Amino acid sequence: MTTATVEAGAAGHGAEPRGKRTEDGQATYLVAIAEALWEEMERDDRVYLLGEDIGVYGGAFKVTEGFLDRFGPDRVIDTPIAEETIVGMAVGSAMEGFRPVAEFQYADFMSSGFDEITTVLARYHYRSGVPLPVVLRGPSGGGVRASSFHSINPEPWFAHAGGIKVICPAFPADAKGLLKSAIRDDNPVMFLEHKWIYRRIKEPVPDDPDALEPISVARVRREGRDVSVITYGAMVHKALEAAEELERAGISAEVVDLRTVYPLDEETVLRSIEKTSRALVVSESYRFVGIGAEVAATIAEKAFEHLDAPVARLSPPNLPVPFSPTLEDAFLPQVADIRTAIERLSAW
Amino acid sequence: MDGFDPVDRYERMVEMRTFEELVGEGVADGSIHGEMHLAIGQEATAAGLEPLVREGDAVVSTHRPHLHALIARVDPVRMLGEIFERSDGLCGGKGGHMHLFDPSVDFMCTGIVGASAPIALGYALQRKRARPGAVAWAFLGDGAVNHGTFAEALNLAALWSLPVVFVVEDNGYAISVPTTQATAGAIHRRGEPFGIPGWAVDGVDARAVYEAGRAATDRVRSGDGPALVVATAYRFRGHYEGDIDHYRPRRQHEETMRERDPIARARASLIAGGVGADELMRREEEARTRVRGWVDRARAMPWPDPADALTGVFAEAEA
Ligand SMILES: Cc1ncc(C[n+]2csc(CCOP(=O)(O)OP(=O)(O)O)c2C)c(N)n1
Repeated sequence: MTTATVEAGAAGHGAEPRGKRTEDGQATYLVAIAEALWEEMERDDRVYLLGEDIGVYGGAFKVTEGFLDRFGPDRVIDTPIAEETIVGMAVGSAMEGFRPVAEFQYADFMSSGFDEITTVLARYHYRSGVPLPVVLRGPSGGGVRASSFHSINPEPWFAHAGGIKVICPAFPADAKGLLKSAIRDDNPVMFLEHKWIYRRIKEPVPDDPDALEPISVARVRREGRDVSVITYGAMVHKALEAAEELERAGISAEVVDLRTVYPLDEETVLRSIEKTSRALVVSESYRFVGIGAEVAATIAEKAFEHLDAPVARLSPPNLPVPFSPTLEDAFLPQVADIRTAIERLSAW
Repeated sequence: MDGFDPVDRYERMVEMRTFEELVGEGVADGSIHGEMHLAIGQEATAAGLEPLVREGDAVVSTHRPHLHALIARVDPVRMLGEIFERSDGLCGGKGGHMHLFDPSVDFMCTGIVGASAPIALGYALQRKRARPGAVAWAFLGDGAVNHGTFAEALNLAALWSLPVVFVVEDNGYAISVPTTQATAGAIHRRGEPFGIPGWAVDGVDARAVYEAGRAATDRVRSGDGPALVVATAYRFRGHYEGDIDHYRPRRQHEETMRERDPIARARASLIAGGVGADELMRREEEARTRVRGWVDRARAMPWPDPADALTGVFAEAEA
């Protein structure tokens, strides 16, 4: 029996080594995230990592490959499989001045630490006034045939918790700059790394260890005139692909990458709507009470006079991510779905 | 069958291994996606316990569930259909290999580490009230015993004297972390403060597993409360198919596999006991042919209809 080679970035962990930057300074999302962690650990010895299989194994997706050798077992801590305790420990040590970064093997298992995250981490500063510089990071998202326990987009749960910033980057340079900002932030931050992006997307990434990206600032990824597509995470890449295809058909779509889903950068979103007068909100997280619903409501409330069409949403229904490829493809928004939705809006 | 028939158990272990190998081939040839956890090396635990699993029992398993499903008498073809992502699989292709359910035999598993034991308590509660003598089997890995849920489940099972058999399979590692590096104390003694007896057994020896399992189930079936069996074996494959497995030094890994192969060990002992090699070869061939037939049938099943992705979230309203 031969050992299977797993598709790069697929579920089934990172079977391959993490890899390096290319000669011309390009890094995958995976490498960019590792660089952010590494540089912040070099910069500030209060920063430490804890999580499952992050030491010798280098993490399920190989984000922390090589960290144990460089920083030692006191700063790269392999824990037992005990998510509530991981979060609890992070909180306690943050109150004592550490800056913990906890890795969840998959974002799905954050729910095993849900109480410590939502009732402790999210609410302590409000009562105590003590800063809680805790980063929780983990691979989220579907499209990699990982079935329902390894594909979740949990950002709405945590955006809803109230005292946690929630970041969902789509590009390597953003991931690096935002993770660094998250680690330097004095507040709890949930940093969700879309696993479909890890090894698929590569771009030039800054070398400067103090190059930060601001939290809660969205970014227009592609300028357009006719329709604004507001999205984040892996869907940014799908939206950009749809926009390119439509350009040839004479429809000009603007793509806004939220980057941080909570607190939301309303201004960038509203400015885009003022320009295009049509909004499509795309999310891979659930539709009902979702991030998309929040963005759509914000536009309806604050940019009504600019709209030429009802705000449209595209996101999967609130049900488990199915396993078999025919089912998963039907469940997740695809490039063709985004294209159709943009066309429909531009015809208004 | 309630006794231990060594030749029959040997054949069953060959069947189990073939099952796992053919699933592994399905991953290697791209027919199966996602993370695949095989239990090669752990056959003696399942095969040793199988004669003790009775109709009416429930089995709650983990992310490494295939052998537990087989001993729970789940239809192997429908299980393979689910693993191979087909519409006639146990869950219509919605779940995959670590989300197998078969309500007809009260089998289920969960991909969340530590989640199996509490669920088994629920199955046990029903059995305590309505099916005296039946038990719920809770399978866990060594990694799962450090999740808070295990302590919670031990406490409640003891407090309410529930008919649960906790079976911890210590295969040496939780992914890359050796059992000893994550676990304080001896796992089989975890139940002691709650008054739950524990058996530590060589999980490579099917008969030893059977003997410990019988002592444990005798207690549980007679209504005396839960029991804990810890079977120690060795995981031959990586944590999942495709794992680079660099955390186990190669030579030591090869040696351990040679020493801790339940099938090789059973075969040697049968031959030493006078069973003919021809007889064993015939049995092996039969087992392999049988499993190949199951896999062929599963691979011939149709793909799920995309429209089914959006159905079945809620039960139909009751009339
Ligand atoms: C709550 C939770 N945390 C983390 C994981 C990721 N994970 C899957 S299997 C595994 C190791 C389990 O080890 P063990 O219980 O010993 O079982 P084995 O894989 O050795 O059979 C981990 C950490 C998970 N599935 N669920």
